Amino acid sequence: MKPRRRRRWTRWAKRIASHVVLIIACIFAVFPIYFIVVTSLSTLPIAGITAHVLLPNPSQLTLSSYNTVLLHESPSYLSLLENSLIFSGSAAAIGLLLAAFTGFALSKFNFPGRRTFVYFILLISLFPSVVMIIPFYLMFAKLGLIDSYIGLIIPYSAGAVVFSGILVKNYMDSIPDDIEEAALIDGMSRTEAFFRVMIPLCLPVLGLAAFLAFMGPYTDYAYAHVFLTSSDKWTLALGLYNINSSDTGTQNYGLVTSFAIVMSLPIVAFYMVFQRYIIGGLTLGAVRG
Amino acid sequence: MADLRDQTLGFRLRHEWPAYLYLLPTVAVLLVLNAYPIAYCIYISMTDFGTGGRGSLLSYHYIGITNYQFALTTGASTSLALVENSFLWAGGSVVLFLLIGLGLASVLNQPLRGRAIYRTVILLPWAFPAFITLLVWTNMWGYEYGIINSMLNLVGIPSVNWLLSTPTAAWSALFITNIWLSFPFYTVVFLATMQAIPKDLYEAASIDGAGTFSQFRRITLPYLAPTVIFVGLMGFLFTFNNFYPIYLITNGGPGISTQIFITESYNDAFGAHGATPLFSTAAMYSVLDFLIIVCLTLVVIWRTDLTRNWLK
Repeated sequence: MKPRRRRRWTRWAKRIASHVVLIIACIFAVFPIYFIVVTSLSTLPIAGITAHVLLPNPSQLTLSSYNTVLLHESPSYLSLLENSLIFSGSAAAIGLLLAAFTGFALSKFNFPGRRTFVYFILLISLFPSVVMIIPFYLMFAKLGLIDSYIGLIIPYSAGAVVFSGILVKNYMDSIPDDIEEAALIDGMSRTEAFFRVMIPLCLPVLGLAAFLAFMGPYTDYAYAHVFLTSSDKWTLALGLYNINSSDTGTQNYGLVTSFAIVMSLPIVAFYMVFQRYIIGGLTLGAVRG
Repeated sequence: MADLRDQTLGFRLRHEWPAYLYLLPTVAVLLVLNAYPIAYCIYISMTDFGTGGRGSLLSYHYIGITNYQFALTTGASTSLALVENSFLWAGGSVVLFLLIGLGLASVLNQPLRGRAIYRTVILLPWAFPAFITLLVWTNMWGYEYGIINSMLNLVGIPSVNWLLSTPTAAWSALFITNIWLSFPFYTVVFLATMQAIPKDLYEAASIDGAGTFSQFRRITLPYLAPTVIFVGLMGFLFTFNNFYPIYLITNGGPGISTQIFITESYNDAFGAHGATPLFSTAAMYSVLDFLIIVCLTLVVIWRTDLTRNWLK
């Protein structure tokens, strides 16, 4: 072969190989999601699920599993959703407030003890959060807070503080000091500058911090399983786990997967819209995405 | 405000004291809801709480480091298995994440038709909450009714008892699931970093006759290195304590061949290991987990300057 033709050939081969690799990656990525969607549109028991469900006859697809999950399960989807929103919403609100204050103090003040404090929160954040359940459970059992809303909101809020605080601090570091100084020269106090200048400038990262603080309780099973004993306080995560584990193989598996989809949708939508911020935030600014 | 660093302590106190007001609520939360529970957990690990059925919520005794001595002598084989499994889980996952993430990112970093579509599709798994998809993955790995085995059967491969037969099968299921959960994130992070590399470097290199591979080695990799190391270390620390994949898929089985510190601890306290909650043993394993993570983090902080910016 002449050199030029050879180069063209290798370029083609490279392009085709790239597409093949990417298509395999996409199939791998989509397969479980496709599986969830297809089975949610059926009413098959898990024992009836074979590779054939992957290519269903469109006329056999049905929304009846969604109907059952949303309207005919006990505890009802609405009650689970309400509890999830109470826990996640409270944790996000409290976590956000604390994160904003912490981030501001760490980023814009050079107070004595600042470095020690940063190392202190780093050390605390290394303690695995799942096993914090043990001391919390024993403490709250003594206080009679097991199986109450407040008894779970407290550990959820505590869990979000450290990471969100560092997130907000990093973002505020990128805001020039001049902006705050200009506000001070205009006669604002530092508190006024914080609320009227810094907070509005930090809205993107505060939104991300709130979302991450929301996500923790929304998908938490480990805490809720231990803390919530009566089913009227159950969250969506407990409801999903319960439907899934009560499935003996003969029940309609579509219930599990349609529950999974309804529960995921708001989160998926949020991730897809704000992925840029979320990726940047999760790498703590190590990457400009 | 870095330029204030030279000032005296008194000057800084006078000018920077409002910071303490802003930190007050957080400090209260950290002390009452983080530091105290951690200290309490360490204390419980030094009691006989739950072991031998003697402990209850009202009566348990301080027994010093007896539990730790037990873990290092009679219980050494379990402790060693937990150490090995935790490191295999975190190390193995991160190596796979980095290889796959780097590979896919460099493929995606070429001018290809449909690149935006590929990128969006690859990101999908990451947008779903892990807890939810993990429950479905558990069913997909099922021996009798799992979709993965039915698909293997279609191409003539007999069913594998993924979760209950051999450690190799169980680890394969765990790693594949964990890759599915995480490769989108790693791919997109590395892709974003690659796209920030100035294009003229590649043009200059290709004029000088450098091929694709040597361009990757001499331009892309050096530019990526800080991100790869930082993301890799964070991924290691995160995966070391990543509870749900193991808890939901294998729950440590078969035997304890995939049990890591955190799942062992949770199961001892609240789980399947029998009716008596072994709070003291559970607390001890979480303290050991914490000590390992602290040591690793100290090494990272001392040996690299990657966290400097973050801790500034």
